[in-house]
Amino acid sequence: MLKTTIMLLITAPILFSFLFLALGKSLYKFLAWAFFIVGVVSSIMLVLDGTGKVEVAGSSFALFENIVLILEVLVILFVFYVSAKHKSWPTLALIAIQAVIAAYSYMNVAKVESASFNIDQFSQVMILIVNIIGTAIILFATGYMDHYEKHRHLDRQKTFFFSMSFFLAAMNGLVMVDTLGWLYLFWEITTLCSFVLIAYNQDEESITNAFRALALNLIGGITFSLAIIMLSVKFDISNLSAIGTSSTTAAVALPVVLLCIAGFAKSAQMPFQSWLLGAMVAPTPVSALLHSSTMVNAGVFLIIKLVPAFANTPLGIAIAVYGSFTFVMCSALALSQRNAKRVLAYSTIANLGLIIASAGIGSPLAVAAAIMLIIFHAISKCLLFLCTGEIEHTIGSRDIEDMSGLIKKAPLLTMLISLGMISMLLPPFGVLLTKWVSMEAASSNPIVSIFLILGSALTTVYYVKWLGTILSSSMDKNAVHHLKPETYFPLSFLGLCIVVTSILVFPIYDYFIKPQVTTLLNIVNIVPTVSGQGGQFTSEIGAFAYAVIFIVFALAILIYLATKNMFTPRPAGYYMCGENNLEKDKLMFRNGIGSYDKSSVSNIYLQDIFEENKLTTLGYVISILLIVVALVEVVVL
Amino acid sequence: MNSLDIAKIVLVLIGAPILGCLLAGIDRKLTARLQGRVGPPLLQPYYDVMKLFQKDNMVVNESQNLYVVMYVVFVILSLLMLVFDADILMIVFVYTVSSVALIVGGMSTGSPYARIGSSREIMAILSYEPILILYALAIYLLTGTFKLSALDNISNPLLMYIPLIFISMLFVMNIKFKKSPFDYSTSHHAHQELVKGMLTEYSGPGLAGIEIGHFYEYVFLLGLMFLFWKVNIIIGLFIALIAFLFVIIMDNITARVYWQWMLKLSWTVLLIISVVNVLYLYVAKIKLI
Repeated sequence: MLKTTIMLLITAPILFSFLFLALGKSLYKFLAWAFFIVGVVSSIMLVLDGTGKVEVAGSSFALFENIVLILEVLVILFVFYVSAKHKSWPTLALIAIQAVIAAYSYMNVAKVESASFNIDQFSQVMILIVNIIGTAIILFATGYMDHYEKHRHLDRQKTFFFSMSFFLAAMNGLVMVDTLGWLYLFWEITTLCSFVLIAYNQDEESITNAFRALALNLIGGITFSLAIIMLSVKFDISNLSAIGTSSTTAAVALPVVLLCIAGFAKSAQMPFQSWLLGAMVAPTPVSALLHSSTMVNAGVFLIIKLVPAFANTPLGIAIAVYGSFTFVMCSALALSQRNAKRVLAYSTIANLGLIIASAGIGSPLAVAAAIMLIIFHAISKCLLFLCTGEIEHTIGSRDIEDMSGLIKKAPLLTMLISLGMISMLLPPFGVLLTKWVSMEAASSNPIVSIFLILGSALTTVYYVKWLGTILSSSMDKNAVHHLKPETYFPLSFLGLCIVVTSILVFPIYDYFIKPQVTTLLNIVNIVPTVSGQGGQFTSEIGAFAYAVIFIVFALAILIYLATKNMFTPRPAGYYMCGENNLEKDKLMFRNGIGSYDKSSVSNIYLQDIFEENKLTTLGYVISILLIVVALVEVVVL
Repeated sequence: MNSLDIAKIVLVLIGAPILGCLLAGIDRKLTARLQGRVGPPLLQPYYDVMKLFQKDNMVVNESQNLYVVMYVVFVILSLLMLVFDADILMIVFVYTVSSVALIVGGMSTGSPYARIGSSREIMAILSYEPILILYALAIYLLTGTFKLSALDNISNPLLMYIPLIFISMLFVMNIKFKKSPFDYSTSHHAHQELVKGMLTEYSGPGLAGIEIGHFYEYVFLLGLMFLFWKVNIIIGLFIALIAFLFVIIMDNITARVYWQWMLKLSWTVLLIISVVNVLYLYVAKIKLI
C-alpha cells in the first residue's frame, strides 16, 4: 500500500507535467484543479499509510537504477548544452567537474543491491507541504500567468507548467527516498527545474540570474557527490538514515559537513544567498514555489535529517552559530529594502537560518522547533508571495511605499496578506511559537541567543512597517480589482491553513514532530517534556498560551463590533494643519510661495546604516569564515 | 480556575486603570510643580477620559478603532499574564501585539503626521525590544525557566545580578512611557511639533480608549520593574516608584532628541551593557535555583 502511494506521489506530478505539455492553454484551469485535488488526496493517503521503509530490489531495482543513470547523464548533458549555448563558463567548468566525479563514482563506488524509500513523519510533513501548497501555487499560476505574459509578450506557459509540475515530482522523490544516489538525482533535478523557471523571461537579467543560481547550486551538488563517494568508499554507507545511526559519528563528520554545505547552497544561506535574490526576476508563482514548498526546503530537510550526526558536537555548535548569524544578518538586510519581493526573500533566508540554527543546537526541543518552523514558514511565506504577486497586478508595483492605501483598493487581498504578515511575527501564530521554542532552546548558547534576539527585533520592524503601509487608508483610490476564483481560492485556502495549523499546533506536534524527534535523536522521550494541556504549549522552561491569545483576538473583535454602534462613527477627512487645499486635492499642502505641494510620507528604511552592499560583504566574510571554521574543526578534531 | 484567580482578574481589570489614572495624575501634578505651575487636579486624567467619551466619534478610517480595542485588550492580557506569573518571553511577545496594534492604528488613518509618528514608534520597537528579551533571557539564566513563578522561590533579588539590565530597562521605561527625550512618536504634553504624531486622527471615544490603555500600560511597565526586587514587595514597589520618578524627572530635564539618537544610544550603550550583563551570567554560571 505504502509502495503504491510512493509511486503515485512521484508519477502523478510527472503525468500532470506531460499533460500540461500536451493540452492547450484553455484546459490548464481544469488540469490545475485536478492536480490540486490529486495532490491533496495522495499526500493525505501517504499520511494514512503510516511510516515505514520500502525496499526496491530485484529486477525492478535494476530497471529503476538504469533510469536513474540515464536521467543523471541527461541532466549533465543538458547543463553542458545550455552553458555552452549561453557561453556561461563557470557553470561549464562546474558541470565538467561534476561529470568527472560522476564518472569516477560510476567506476569506483560499489554498486548497491537495492534502494529504499524511508517514510517517516518528517517525510509525511514535507509531502503534505509540497503537494498541498505546491499544487495550490500551480492553481494560482493558472489565473496569474495570462496577465503576466500579456504584459511581457511571452508565450512560454507550456515550459512553465511543465517545469513547475516536474519540480513537485522531484521534490516528492527527494523527501521520500533514502538511497543517497537517488536522492542526488532528485536534488539535481530540482536545481535544473529552478534554473529553467528562473530563466523564464528569457531576457538578459533572467538568464544571468538563472546561471548564477545554477552555478551556486552546482557547487552544492559537487560537495554532495563528494560526500556520497566518501561515505560509500570509506564507511560503506549508502543510505541517508544510516549516516546518523552510524557508530562512527565522529569519523563521518567530514562528509556530513559536505552534505551540510550542499544544504546551505540549496537553502540560499550566506554566502550562497545571491541566487535566491536573483530568482526574483521570475514570475511570482515561481518565487512562491522556490521559497515555500520546494527548493529551499530541500536544503533544510537534508540538514535536519543529518541532525543525529552532529547533535551535541562542536560541529553542531558551529552550525547553530552559522544559522543564527544568517538569521540576524538577513533580517538586517531586509530592513533597508523597499522592494516587497526582496524583503520576502531576505525574510526567507533569515527563517531558514533560524531552522538551521535550531537544528544545530540539536536539543529535542530545538529540533522540534526546526521541523515546525518549516511547516509554518512554508504556509505563511507562500501566502505572502502570492499576495505580493497579486498586488503587483493590482497596483503595478512591488515597491512597499506604493502599496499605501491598498486596504481601500483591494480589501480582501489586503486582509489576506496582513494575516500572512501577522502570522510571521505575532503570537498566537505558528511561526512565532517556533521562534519562541527556538529561543528557549537556544538559551544555553549565548551567541546564538543574542543573534536570535537581535534578529527577531529586526523582523518585527520590517514587517510592521509593511503591514502599517498596506493598512493605511488613503484618500485617493484609482485601482480596479478583479476577483478570480483560481487566484483567490488558493489565497483564502492558505489563509485558512495558517489559522488551522496554528490552532492545531499541539496535535501536529504530537502526531508528527514528537515521534520524529525521538527517532532522529534516538531518545525515548523528549526532555523537557512538552504538554499541550489547557491550550498551552508547555515545557519546564516556559509556556506558550496560544489558545488564550486566539480567544483574546476573537474577544477584541467582538468588543469592537459590539461597541462600534455605541459611538456612531462620523467620517471626516484627515487633518492637514489648516493648510489643506480642500478645493483641489485633499492631499495637498499650500507651501510658502502660495503654490501647492502634494504631501508624501515614507517609511524609515535606515539605508545608510543597514546599507545592502556593506552588510552583504560583511555577511560573506563572516559566513565563509564560519564554514571554514566548521571544516577545519572537523578535519583537525 | 478557582475563585481566587477570578478575584485577581477582577482586581486587575478594575484596580489597574485606577492606579494608572492616579499615576498619570501624579505625573501631571509633579511635572507642573517642576515647571512652577500649580497643575491640574489629581483626577484630571479621569475627567479627560470621561469628557472624551462624550465627544463625537470622528473617524478617518472606518476601522481605525478596531486597533484601539486590540491595543487595550492586549495590554490588559500582558498585564494579566504578568500578574499570573506566566512565561516572561511570552509576555514580551503579547505586549508587542499591543504596540503593533497602536502603530498600525496610527498608520491606518493615513494622515501624514500619524504615519511619521508611527514610523518613529517602529524605530522605538527596534530600540527597546532586544533589551526586553535580554531581560527575559537573564531571568531564564538565573532561575532556569522563563516562567515568572520561579521568582517566588528565590531568596536574592534579581537586581543584584542584573544591575546593567536594570539601567537599560530604565531607559526602556522612558521610551515606552513616551516621555522626553524619546517622545517623538506621540506625546502627552503639548510639545509635539508633529501635531500629535501617531494619535493625530484619534479623538473622542477612540482617544479615550487609548488613554485607558495607557493606564493599564503604566501599571504593566512598572510591574516589569517590580520584578527586579520581587522577593520583598515593599522594596519592589519602591523600585517601581523610583523608575516612575526617573521617567518624570527625565521628561522634565531633557529636550526631545532625534530618533536616530535613540537608536544609537540603544544599540550601542544600552544593548552592549545588557549583553555584557547576560554574558557575565553565562560565564559566572550564577543559578538562583
